[in-house]
Amino acid sequence: MQTTARTFRTFAAIAIAAVMTTTAAVTALAQPPKPAAPAKPATARPSVRAPATTITAVRVPGTGPINDAFGKHWAGARPMKVAMLPQSVTLPHNPAPAVTGLTVRAVHNGTWVAFLIEWKDDTVSDKIVLDNFGDQVAIQLPIDTKAAPPSPMMGNPGGRVNIIQWRAAFQHDIDKGPPTTKSLYPNSWADVYPDEVLSANDARPYSGALGLENPISRGRATPVLDQFAEGWGSMTVKPDQHALGSGVHRNGAWHVVITRPMASDDQNAPRLVPGDRTVAAFAVWEGGAREVGARKAWSAWIPVVVAR
Amino acid sequence: MAKVFNWQLGREMDYPYEAKRPEKQFAMVFDTNKCIACQTCTVACKTTWTPGRGQEYMFWNNVETKPYGYYPLGWDVNILEKLGVQDMDGPVYRGKTLFDAAPQGEVILGYLPDDLDYAHPNIGEDDSSGVMPQGAHFTMPHLQWMFYLPRICNHCTYPACLSACPRQSIYKRREDGIVLLDQSRCRGYRECVKACPYKKVYFNAQTRVSEKCIGCYPAVEGGRQTQCTTTCIGKIRIQGFVNAPDTVNADNPLDYLVFVKKLALPLYPQFGLEPNTYYIPPVHVPPPYLRQMFGWGVEPAIATYRKAHEDPKLLGALMLFGATPEISHYFRVDGDWVYGYDGKQSEIVRVPLREPAVIREVYDLKHKAYRTNIT
Ligand code: SF4
Ligand code: SF4
Repeated sequence: MQTTARTFRTFAAIAIAAVMTTTAAVTALAQPPKPAAPAKPATARPSVRAPATTITAVRVPGTGPINDAFGKHWAGARPMKVAMLPQSVTLPHNPAPAVTGLTVRAVHNGTWVAFLIEWKDDTVSDKIVLDNFGDQVAIQLPIDTKAAPPSPMMGNPGGRVNIIQWRAAFQHDIDKGPPTTKSLYPNSWADVYPDEVLSANDARPYSGALGLENPISRGRATPVLDQFAEGWGSMTVKPDQHALGSGVHRNGAWHVVITRPMASDDQNAPRLVPGDRTVAAFAVWEGGAREVGARKAWSAWIPVVVAR
Repeated sequence: MAKVFNWQLGREMDYPYEAKRPEKQFAMVFDTNKCIACQTCTVACKTTWTPGRGQEYMFWNNVETKPYGYYPLGWDVNILEKLGVQDMDGPVYRGKTLFDAAPQGEVILGYLPDDLDYAHPNIGEDDSSGVMPQGAHFTMPHLQWMFYLPRICNHCTYPACLSACPRQSIYKRREDGIVLLDQSRCRGYRECVKACPYKKVYFNAQTRVSEKCIGCYPAVEGGRQTQCTTTCIGKIRIQGFVNAPDTVNADNPLDYLVFVKKLALPLYPQFGLEPNTYYIPPVHVPPPYLRQMFGWGVEPAIATYRKAHEDPKLLGALMLFGATPEISHYFRVDGDWVYGYDGKQSEIVRVPLREPAVIREVYDLKHKAYRTNIT
């Protein structure tokens, strides 16, 4: 009897999982429970059920960065289901990406704009060793919001884009500390390292990319990289980092916020004011499927409205 | 894909970039017959360049026992199996290169090793090809055999690592053909690790980017041979430069060994990378195995090696191995001596073709004692 009940529950779980992967269900994906819809005119708060074709950054109160994936401010933001496509233009291709859709919401408070990006992922991939890759997601914004958008694939020469990428490995560094040989390989042992016997300056050449402060080596204050690109292979991490972000894995899904100032003295970032219309595109990597670099899923440009 | 000429294959082949040969090409010759797998080269490289965190199991230079030693595990048999059986008869290779065999959507046929494949750097050490049956005795080639294969990055003319990097983080220097991986630019995609069939790019989990042999460029720029060469106690190595096949200079010891005498052969030329470490094949190993590893020139190379003592110029070139820490750009044999010269034609070393030998009497009359050879 018990066995039958358990079996039934298993079937039910599979059925629910199947529904979750349909387009309609992804918009509801693993969101914190929404407050009951208030009895107000629809204009005050857009319906969270109707499928959106535009990402509308709704105005929320407050100042400063909006960096909490589970904050109240997301309740009024209408989710947009973004279809993710296989990258098969530049080599190497990724013909069958693991993630086929993202759910995106946006808000702004007049000084910072934030995007909440969510996707289903049963496994956390945040440990990087040779054969382990990390989960990642990126948002791309054209720097010149008035001109026709450049190529959605990392821009083009003369058509520069701002790409902000969140990495699960950086999130791990910040939440639980950066990797050490001992943490990655608990049974490892080494007799001596250069930094134990040499001055910091003399030991630096033995620390490879870390000694050169390669921004890929460590997440520092934030798990996101603020970058610009003008086409394939041209991604450059900016000397000044303006973007912030955070990612939480909960209920079998990633919930990642990427936020940036709407205006700054950064020449390689868009300047946004309430009422602006621009576009955004996305890329996502499933570390468990060894997606990295060009082996990614990408989206077309999606219209973005910064609400007044 | 561009068409480039690969002299090791005797034909043009497809490569993602146009051919641009460097002014001179960093190269090394290894005499496998002299290698004793003492790993002094391995340790010299390790203590010089990779003693840091995240580099614990990273050996830019390694020495493995063939046929059952590999670092990383199974590196050559894995990619040979993926490439499939190819026709290894020369002088023109008609089989597929790894670029020819690239799957749809990939630059090259490759594979990413498992992390654990690097966990046993000296696996298979001293294992021979099989068990000697009762009553067996040595004949040539040996019934059962093994040999030591020292390996570094081949600073390939057509590097797979460079071709696979979507960020152009890997570059080949115009002045000496050394292939370097920019530690500031790399984003740790590991496309190079996957692409290099020799598995000579390594991933550093501490820095999250890839690293590789730098051809000891600070030494080479100063006219000195690499750490792994100068420390070799077996004197099995010489490092210098090879010219392009159409500008061969018979007075350059490496050109002479590679192009003129065809004594030193590339490692797995069929992969199509035009690798620039060259091996004098081991004389005691069955040629079919060696042909797969070093190409169709194996039998003539072994025949040449066995007669080297009859050829003063060849003997001279071989005597330069391990004779000087400096790079011999030119050499000359005069009488019983070989002379090595630097790039400005100044003499840097002279070595007798035959070391003077002293034979001592077995019985020492002065001390009234027998001299026993204890080695
Ligand atoms: S041996 Fe490998 S790492 Fe070295 S140049 Fe050739 S392809 Fe690159
Ligand atoms: S050439 Fe230099 S860096 Fe390369 S394996 Fe030899 S010692 Fe190491």
